[in-house]
Amino acid sequence: MKVHDIVCSLRWLALVPALLLPLSARGQLTATGTINATLINRNGIALVFDPDPSGVSLGGAGSSAASLNFGTIAAYGTLSSGVTRTNVGTNSFTVQTYFDVQVTQGGLNSNSYTLSARLAAAAPTGLGYGVDGVTLTTAAQNIQTNGTYNIDVQHSLSLVVSTAAPGAGGPTVGSPLTTTLNFTATSN
Amino acid sequence: MKKTCLALAITLVLTIFSVSAQAATASGTLTVTATVTGSINLIFNSDPSGVTLTGTGTSAATLAFGSVAAYGGCPAHVTCTPAGINFAVSSPVDVAVYEYNSSSANYTLKAALGTADATDTWAVGGVTITTTAATITATGAYTASGTGTNYPVQITIPYTVANGTNISNTIAYTATSN
Repeated sequence: MKVHDIVCSLRWLALVPALLLPLSARGQLTATGTINATLINRNGIALVFDPDPSGVSLGGAGSSAASLNFGTIAAYGTLSSGVTRTNVGTNSFTVQTYFDVQVTQGGLNSNSYTLSARLAAAAPTGLGYGVDGVTLTTAAQNIQTNGTYNIDVQHSLSLVVSTAAPGAGGPTVGSPLTTTLNFTATSN
Repeated sequence: MKKTCLALAITLVLTIFSVSAQAATASGTLTVTATVTGSINLIFNSDPSGVTLTGTGTSAATLAFGSVAAYGGCPAHVTCTPAGINFAVSSPVDVAVYEYNSSSANYTLKAALGTADATDTWAVGGVTITTTAATITATGAYTASGTGTNYPVQITIPYTVANGTNISNTIAYTATSN
């Protein structure tokens, strides 16, 4: 081998490391940046109504705007499934069912909640509403002061019906009578 | 300067406290619907002059006359009336009918035997009854107080009925609002 050939081979060999270098090391342009992500973790609670196994089914179950239908009720006779008649007296009778309230919380240092309820408007003539034995009015009243978060809590809903005839202090018969109950859960 | 710092510190502490102590609330609405319908209820009560009923105050009572005979064997509170070929045993029974959420003025009461009786004759309130419902009254007054209206139950038994024969039947009463 001639000296010239040897020199040429060495030149090629010198290029090999350069070819093996990573691309990033070969002078590519880079740019960097940072982004500061922020959020405000707002604490709060939410209330939903769920059907109770012992009660009637709910419309809008799992939401905060549900509906409950006792169906057709009377002092005597068959009642809807999930509705019981707890008292038949001379002047009134009472029917009852159950529903659940679930209150969830996030970001709060609270172990329990207070549940209050009230009638949105005056009850229809001859009807009275109660939750867990508390007779409801249009003023909010406490139903529960130590509610547990994140579980369905059973509540009874009673409807006291005057036995008087329509127009004599009793309720209208034969047509649905609707009342809205407002519930508020407040963290303790 | 010190006062200003102290005031600022107190304000800060109070502000933090008020934020952390603020209760969270959530609300929901439950719309409740019910349809009230009128109803009536019938129960039997023991009449003060009659046999004491078993199940008095309910709609399923029992009237036990006991052992009866045309002559010399009529139990207390039972009237035994001999006639030509038979004798009648009778006891007052009070029927109370209540109305609820109703504007009905009165009711019609019917009664029927549960099982046909080819031997004896049964009557309620003076009306002979068979297995076909008979009208006892078409203008029954609802019970407002007291034990109700007396509709005597009577069985007319032929003398040919053997001694020791057990006579039993069920009378079905139906009250319908007018």
